[in-house]
Amino acid sequence: MVILNFTLSEEGVAVLHDALACLFKFSDDVCLEARRDKSLLTIFRARHNSGDQSREKNSAIESCDVAIDDGLGRKSRLVARVSFRNGITASHSLPFEVKPPMHAKFNPDEACNRWAISSRTLRQLMDHFGPGIELLDINTDNDTRVVNFTCFTEKVQKRGAVNNEEVLKKPLHTNIAVEMDEFDHVNVEDKLHIIISVKDFRAILQHAQLISGELTTCYSNPGRPMKLSYSADGIVCEFILMTVGEKDALSQKHKNLRANTASKIPRPELDASSHRASSVANSSHQNSHEVASAPVATPTSMPAPPQLRTSARPRNSAFEIRPQPIPPHSAATAQSESLFVSQGDEDEQWEPVNPEGEDEENARLEWNATNDPNPSSLRIGSYLSRSADPQEMASDILEPGLEPTQRLSQVRRFGLFSP
Amino acid sequence: MRFRTDLRNVRTFSKLTAALSSLEKIAWVRLDDDTVRFTVIPDTGSQVWASLSVPLIFDNYHIQSAEPNNTINLELPLQPLLRALKSAIGSSYANLRLTKKDGLPMLSMTIHTMTRDSGGEARGRKAPGFGANSGEAEEDHFTSQSFAPEPLELTMKREREKIITQDIPVRVLHPDTVETIMQPKVREPDVHIQLPPLLQLKAISDRFTKLALTTSTNSRYSTPKLVLQANMHGSLRLSLHTDTLSITSTWTGLENPELDESQLPVPIEEHPSTIFKRAGPDRWATVRVDGRDWSRVLSVGRLEGRVIACFCDEHALILYVYVPHLDGGDQGREERGVGGEREDVVTVIKGHDLDGVMVTDGATRTTG
Repeated sequence: MVILNFTLSEEGVAVLHDALACLFKFSDDVCLEARRDKSLLTIFRARHNSGDQSREKNSAIESCDVAIDDGLGRKSRLVARVSFRNGITASHSLPFEVKPPMHAKFNPDEACNRWAISSRTLRQLMDHFGPGIELLDINTDNDTRVVNFTCFTEKVQKRGAVNNEEVLKKPLHTNIAVEMDEFDHVNVEDKLHIIISVKDFRAILQHAQLISGELTTCYSNPGRPMKLSYSADGIVCEFILMTVGEKDALSQKHKNLRANTASKIPRPELDASSHRASSVANSSHQNSHEVASAPVATPTSMPAPPQLRTSARPRNSAFEIRPQPIPPHSAATAQSESLFVSQGDEDEQWEPVNPEGEDEENARLEWNATNDPNPSSLRIGSYLSRSADPQEMASDILEPGLEPTQRLSQVRRFGLFSP
Repeated sequence: MRFRTDLRNVRTFSKLTAALSSLEKIAWVRLDDDTVRFTVIPDTGSQVWASLSVPLIFDNYHIQSAEPNNTINLELPLQPLLRALKSAIGSSYANLRLTKKDGLPMLSMTIHTMTRDSGGEARGRKAPGFGANSGEAEEDHFTSQSFAPEPLELTMKREREKIITQDIPVRVLHPDTVETIMQPKVREPDVHIQLPPLLQLKAISDRFTKLALTTSTNSRYSTPKLVLQANMHGSLRLSLHTDTLSITSTWTGLENPELDESQLPVPIEEHPSTIFKRAGPDRWATVRVDGRDWSRVLSVGRLEGRVIACFCDEHALILYVYVPHLDGGDQGREERGVGGEREDVVTVIKGHDLDGVMVTDGATRTTG
């Protein structure tokens, strides 16, 4: 029995694809929730990124019909039939699982701190942060009328960095001061430090700048959720991130301690994974095709990270739906590079020959490689664990065939061969 | 101890840093009244001694220490420096100063910059062409539009300059700890020759290295050796010999620059290169280099300088990279030949057939 039918235009496919590409950075699984007149029709779970693999093909898409088939005695299938302009039709049938809905709790009345700014500006500013950082501290200074974005990592703070050699291993410490006048509005308690995960923030900005000019945030206190939202052309995107509690991170540095029951529980391990800002993304489409599909990242079947499960944070229970984090430091580095640190062609040519490194480079580019039938194998985390196996590395290197080291145009320029 | 300077020629500084960081993670930086010297000495592989005149990369330069010539020695991680310099490229102003944060020494770079295109966004909130990165253009726009009837125009957000602070961790070295580190003194070269474009040389060398890795059975653990040869008659040869293959690329018509007699320790007639020249084009000076290390060394090609290779037959290879002054207009400096006064020169020293270089005693020779 078909329980939901909808058709996406070419543009609709592109928009859904972008949304899924963003959600993929948070989880392998996506929850689609379709509503009519606010009544829930169905909720299910599917490998999201194969759903729109058709978009990667070069042919222009005429339309994409999606039918969701479920019922007693039937297999749960999401069938996407993509009609291309060249007459070819491709059908993809994806299994899914029906799950109860799950939404992050966010109390807008409590979140009185807010600011809004061009997402493009913000994304470009993130380029200035170096690798190896995990957390972003956003704070304001009313005296100088600036909003500061400061990146840091806790690992080095813990290390103490007193040893001679260790000092030089500290990552770059970056602070970016943006004048409040550049924000569309800023209404934030002075000197309030709110800390979120850089990785999540980057993933959101990457999508936000595609969709909309402006990103709006609202939040209350450290350790409480923060909402980031943007919208345009019938697309409403909301992300709810957990912010790092003060005790978690910078309590010794910033004296304005706030009452926060959750943060009073001592936690021995304060590495990034313990308070990686859990996030729930919530984006809904309402375009002219009477389509209402709301992907919500709810990978409920994934085990919650042990630290989160054991820590008594009753009010944050909605956030314990995040999958096991990828090994934080290496993955964060790899991702941040693939996302934002773009090296010009010129630079790449000067990189030393490094056969081992080439495979790594390719893996980094695979965030959006939706042609692979098994997307989970593309995760950086799984790549990293895989590459630890020396035998596999060796086989990578010994692959037959050499890449050309020079473009023909370069060779011609040097007059090696007659044109 | 004080050090504070504005940055200029950020792109050149950044390229130098990139070239150094392909050889080693950490550099020793010696700053004094006149010179900035970057040195990397990896455990294995090639050394670089890059000696730059202060005005090449710094402006408004203030240095003060208890040492002669106000010398300050720093140990500096290159990747963070490179990352910070990337932020400074295209900025309106950037400075660098030695400071302390939480009791730890830092090289703090302050950058005033705009985002690249905060203007032309979706929804046409801003006028086209507005807010690119020129403050003057914005002001013009405002004056010319000040009577515009659209109220929206008046409430537009103006792109503001952002202030980025990049703190690079450093160690301040005591003069005693660097006293013993000397630039290796190498005997007078047998052949000196201007290299072909480094990008070309690198592409071919890298291809040879990859070929060697794929044809050799135990490729993972042996590093392929490339044979580099040059004569005093304008030819350079790059060869690879393995069990199964042998390939050679030859360049001809290259320049063997004239030596400045006044700088030589021996009369020009007795100089090894004169002897090699007399022996004819079949007399080659040979060095063997590790393919991967050579590839890292060739990364100095980023600097777009003229590169003179000095071959000490069966002993060592030294590359002198003459850094052009891009916006200083002082093109003459790079034109000096080998043996001339080397002000802005990156010196790469490779040992022959060795993983490291032979370090012999001798004075530093930053100025020939």
